[in-house]
Amino acid sequence: MDFNTLIAQFISGLSVAMLLFLVASGLTLIFGVVNVLNFAHGSFYLLGTYFTYQLMQLFNNFWVGLLVGVIGAGIVGMVVEVLFLRRIYGRDQEGAFQLLMTYAFILIIDDVVKFIWGPEYKTIPKPDALMGSLKIGATVVPSYNIFIIVVGLLVVLFAWYFLTKTDKGKMVRASSLDRNMLGLLGTNVPMIMTLVFGVATAMGGLAGILAAPLRTVTPGAGVEVIIDSMIVVVIGGFGNFWGALLGALIIGEVLSFGILWMPELATVLTFIVMIVVLIVKPEGLLSKKMVGRK
Amino acid sequence: MKRKLISLFIIAAILIPFTIVQGAETIKIGALYTMTGRGGQYGKDSEVAIKIALDEVNAKGLPGGAKLDVIITDDKNPQYAVSVAKRYITDEKCKFLFGIISTGIGLAVTEVSKEYKVIFVGTDHAGTDLTANKFQKYYFRSANNTFQSMMAGAYYLKDEVKNWKKIAYIGPDYAYGRDQLMELKWGLDKLGVKYEVVGEYWPKLYEPDYTAYITAIMKAAPDILVVGFWGGDTVSFIKQAKPYGLFGKMKYFHVDAGGNYEALAALGADMPAGIIMSARHHNNWPETAANKAYVQKFYKAAGRYPSYAAEGAYVGIHMIAEAIRKVGNANDTEALVKAMEGMKIQCPEDPPGFTSYIDPKTHQIVQIQAIGTTVKNDKFPPAKYMLGNFKIYPADKLWPSFEYIDYMTKVKGK
Repeated sequence: MDFNTLIAQFISGLSVAMLLFLVASGLTLIFGVVNVLNFAHGSFYLLGTYFTYQLMQLFNNFWVGLLVGVIGAGIVGMVVEVLFLRRIYGRDQEGAFQLLMTYAFILIIDDVVKFIWGPEYKTIPKPDALMGSLKIGATVVPSYNIFIIVVGLLVVLFAWYFLTKTDKGKMVRASSLDRNMLGLLGTNVPMIMTLVFGVATAMGGLAGILAAPLRTVTPGAGVEVIIDSMIVVVIGGFGNFWGALLGALIIGEVLSFGILWMPELATVLTFIVMIVVLIVKPEGLLSKKMVGRK
Repeated sequence: MKRKLISLFIIAAILIPFTIVQGAETIKIGALYTMTGRGGQYGKDSEVAIKIALDEVNAKGLPGGAKLDVIITDDKNPQYAVSVAKRYITDEKCKFLFGIISTGIGLAVTEVSKEYKVIFVGTDHAGTDLTANKFQKYYFRSANNTFQSMMAGAYYLKDEVKNWKKIAYIGPDYAYGRDQLMELKWGLDKLGVKYEVVGEYWPKLYEPDYTAYITAIMKAAPDILVVGFWGGDTVSFIKQAKPYGLFGKMKYFHVDAGGNYEALAALGADMPAGIIMSARHHNNWPETAANKAYVQKFYKAAGRYPSYAAEGAYVGIHMIAEAIRKVGNANDTEALVKAMEGMKIQCPEDPPGFTSYIDPKTHQIVQIQAIGTTVKNDKFPPAKYMLGNFKIYPADKLWPSFEYIDYMTKVKGK
C-alpha cells in the first residue's frame, strides 16, 4: 500500500467524519443539556438545506443562503422547543413522549418540505471559489471537501472556547449537570434550554447545507443521516460533545480504510465498532467526561 | 297533451343517461407506491401518469360503459404493503393490484396476488426475479427488468467500447444492486467477452457520502466503472466523484437507471459529458409523436418533465384497459390473464416500426433498449445534459432468456 493511497483514504475519512460530526454534535448537545433524544434532528438538517435552496433561487448566492439556512433551522428548532417539547419535560414516561413527538416531527417536516418545494430532487451548487481540486503530494482532494474539514475544525475550536472559557458556556455545562440547582441560583434555565436547542438545530442545518452541494436535496434526506449520527453518539458517549468528535473520526476512518481493504464488509464495520464499544464501554468512549443529568 | 309529451321527453332525456351511469360498473385498481422520502418522486410521477392514462381510457370507453378508478396508498414496507393489498382485495373489491417502486415490496405483494388469484401489474420495480424464478401467472410487468438493461449493456460493452479489460462495480447493497452485476457478468460471459473484475463496492442504499468509495475505486484503476445506483444515489455519487477527476480516468457505465431524467435534472451542469447511461424511459428518445405527446401531457399536468417511473404506470393502465376490452368485463380473471399474455401494447418509448409486447411465458413486457452517452441538451430544463448518440438493442435479443432464468433459479432459488 503506497503512502499516497493512505493519505488519500485518510483525507476521505476526515471529510466523511466532519459532516458526521456536525450532525452528531447537535444531536448530542441536545441530549446532554436538554435531555431530549431528538429523532427529528435530521429534519433540521433537511430544513437548513431547503431554506438555503430557496434563498439561492432568490439571490443566487451560496453564502447568503448558508447564513439564512443556519439561522432558519435554529429559529424553527427554538419554536419547536418552546411550543412543543417544553410541555413534556418532567412528565412520567417523558422518554416515550419524546420518541413519539420527535418522530412525528420527522413526518410533519418531511411532508411540509414536499408540499412547499415538491418531491423532485433539488440542486445546490458549490460556490465558484470551491469548485476545483487541490493536490496534496500526488493526492487529489476537492477544495470543497477541504472547506468542510476546515469548517468542522472551526466548530470544534469555537465550541471548546465557548464551553470552557465563557460564563455562558459554563452555564450550559452546569445546566447539563444539575438544572434544578442552576435554577435555584437564579439562572433562567428554560431560556438556556431553548437557546441550546436552537444552536444545536442550527448546527444540524449547517451540516445539511454544507453537505447539499455533494448530496441529493430531497425529502427524506434527513432520516438517512440520523442513523449514522446515532452510531457516532453511541460510540462517543451520549451527551458528550467531544465524544461526538471522537466517534465521528473513528467511524469516518474505519469506513474509509474498510472500503479500501475489505469493501464487502465496509457497511458492517461501523456497526461492529459500535457493538464492540457497547460491550467494552457501554456508556461510550469518553464517558468520564459525559455529563450527568437530573 | 303535446306539452306533456315534450315534458316527459325532456325528463327521460335527463334521466336515461343518469340511469346508465348509475348502472355502469366502476372497476377499481388498488395501487401501492412509495409516496414519501427519496422514492416519493416516483410515486408522485406515477400518480400523474395514472391520471393521464385514466382520462384517455375512460374517454375511449370500456365495455358496458364501465370506468376505471385507481386508489393509491403509500406502500411504506413489505408487511404494510401486503396488508393494504389484502384490504384492497377483500374490502375495496379491487380487481387488480398495481404499481410498486421497490422490488422487495413487489416480491411480497406478488404472493398476495398468487394467493387471491388477482392480477398484479408491476409498473416500476425492476428485479428480474418477478418474471423469472419468482414468476406466478397473475403477475405482469409493464416496464423492463434489470436483465434486459444489463444484457443490452453487455452488447454495448462488447461492440462499442474498445481496449478495455478491467471493470469495477459499485451499486447498492441489496438485491437490485447485486443482480445487476450478476446479470452483466452473465451477459459478458455469454457473449464471450474476456474481462477482469478488479473491485466490487457495496454501499448501503441512500448512502450519503461516497468519498471513501471514490478514492478506493481510483486506487483500483478499472478501465470501466459499472454503476448500479438509482435516483438520488446517482446524483450524490456523480457530484462527489467529479472533482476527483474520476470521469477522466475511466469509462462510467450505468445502464439500468443512470440516465433517469430526475438525476439528469438534479445534476444540471454538473453532469459530465460522454458518460454511458440508459433508463427505462427517455424524454427525448424516440423522437416520435407518441413520445412527445406523452411527455408534453405529463408536463402540462405536473409542471415538470416525467421521471422514468411514470411511463410504466401509464402503460400499465392501458394494459389493463385493453385486457378488459378483449374479455368484455373485469370479472373473469383467468380470461384477463389469457388476454394479457402476448398482448401488444404501443408505449411512448417504442421507436417507429416496433410495438412492445407481453412475453406470454414470463409476463414480462419486451421492449427495445437504447443506450446513449450524455450530451449537452437544455430542451428539458432544469436538465442541462440529456442522453444522445443512442445505440439500439432489439427487444427479442434481450428477453426472454430461459437459459438465464434457469441460472438465476439455481443461484437464488424459486
